[in-house]
Amino acid sequence: MNIDQIKKEFPIFDEKIQNNDLVYLDSANSSQKPKIVVDRINEFYTKQFSNVGRSVHYLAVAATNLYENTRSSVQKYINAKDKNEIVFTKGATEALNLVANTLGQSYLQEGDEVLITELEHHSNYVPWHFLRKSKNIKINFAEINEEGEITLEEIEKKITPKTKLISITHLSNVTGAILPVKEITQLAHSKGIIVVVDGCQGAPHLKLDMQELDCDFYAISCHKMYGPTGLGVLYGKKKWLEELPPYQGGGGMINEVKKDRISYGELPNKYEAGTMATAQVIAFDQSIKFLESIGIENVMKHEADLVEYGQELLQKNNSVKLIGNPKNKGGVLSFTIEGVHPHDIATILDEDGVAIRAGHHCCQILHDKLNIPASARASVGIYNTKEDLDQLNESINNCKKIFNL
Amino acid sequence: MNLKELYQEIILEHGKNPRNLRKTEGFNKDAKGNNPLCGDNVHVYLKLNGQKIVEDASFQGSGCAISMASASIMTDLIKGKNEHEAKEIVEDFLGMIKENPELKSKYLNEDEKTKLMCLSGVKQYPMRVKCATLSWHTMVSAFDEKTEEVKTEN
Repeated sequence: MNIDQIKKEFPIFDEKIQNNDLVYLDSANSSQKPKIVVDRINEFYTKQFSNVGRSVHYLAVAATNLYENTRSSVQKYINAKDKNEIVFTKGATEALNLVANTLGQSYLQEGDEVLITELEHHSNYVPWHFLRKSKNIKINFAEINEEGEITLEEIEKKITPKTKLISITHLSNVTGAILPVKEITQLAHSKGIIVVVDGCQGAPHLKLDMQELDCDFYAISCHKMYGPTGLGVLYGKKKWLEELPPYQGGGGMINEVKKDRISYGELPNKYEAGTMATAQVIAFDQSIKFLESIGIENVMKHEADLVEYGQELLQKNNSVKLIGNPKNKGGVLSFTIEGVHPHDIATILDEDGVAIRAGHHCCQILHDKLNIPASARASVGIYNTKEDLDQLNESINNCKKIFNL
Repeated sequence: MNLKELYQEIILEHGKNPRNLRKTEGFNKDAKGNNPLCGDNVHVYLKLNGQKIVEDASFQGSGCAISMASASIMTDLIKGKNEHEAKEIVEDFLGMIKENPELKSKYLNEDEKTKLMCLSGVKQYPMRVKCATLSWHTMVSAFDEKTEEVKTEN
């Protein structure tokens, strides 16, 4: 695998960012886009545009086929059993809100407990909080260990007879911990508990096999997966998507509409009300092709090498403190520097063209637990190299110099 | 862009050893502010005497070097000013941070102007302007006795 060659497929790296070569270490936030994805959006709007699933003219039929084609590609990529288990949403956030909302409408009852973890992104906490407010459900938190991991044992400890649902991240966007989702699901199912997985960080970086994981729902963010913004995927087991009520009402999701009654459409239309992000869906097919052309095993190997290299580098750097040290770790290096606030770190690194994120990364619960207001985070993607991490380390040294450390 | 302009020695010094980082005893005005996106937060305390002059000003909170230095310098120079003077200084400061090349307020002496101008490098970093302005907006809120938290978005 030739990373220089892969990097060339991303037009942004030809750009100078404030006169610097771009060292993009913010892929956990959003990934850059390969040319084939950008071109596909342009091509669709230029030569093929029509709305999907409604009209019968040539362009409409062709666009519908392209749209449905991506659904099939996603099904294959994540090894879902049925094409209708793939629902397009406006993002992973909407996917998780859809799950919480519809389960809240028809499944979860007052007093039921939902188990999440201290690692969760706000998008996998706030939707459950809505149910805490409206339905009086209880939210419990599985706690991290010293390494920043959530263990199967901790999950088991926090399950009570009232636990109806477990909603967990596949890969933490702060500590990088990869959760034992398959084992957690086995345990949960043995007790009749549903499992929802926030796959925002998992999907771009890990091998996905829904039938092997066996979780009930899996939320994907397409823009973190070398795809367009404004698009997410919700995988849901067919039995659930058939049983649960619709999430939003509108065009496309109905079967029959009368003054006194309305019946809803079949899957997947039932969950795709209104005009969807058509161009993005069609372009996302190219993101999957891009990932398939590299091979997810190669992606995982490359990113594991990078993270190991980066971890060693930063561990050796005095006054840098890495957050979390999980055994199974994805491509995320979160850190603090004693005496320098993360926002100052990010501004100073930016001057060298090094793009990282600073803040709480939408994980206030975790930062409270770690007793820090914010952290700096470097995260890798397929286009990163060891030289990028060398530059990160060098810019950190410059930051220390400015702050007289 | 010039990092040296942003991180001048005086900012680093105030950031590291902020003045008035405490809670004024017997304060009679206070307000809270936070930058939801950054997680920065500040609580400003003012003690006004019978003539409505700021006898003491202080703050508590956490944030980056820019926000800590800004709050530190602000609480220092606001002492001895009345509400009208303080608010004019705030306007002057906000104008300078966003666009004006210099400070104009007659209520600031040269030394105070020099100190505040150290924060002028921020205007080249639009994402950081809110770091410098949070404590100032919060102080206005304290004067106005607003109970809701100040949220700064640039």
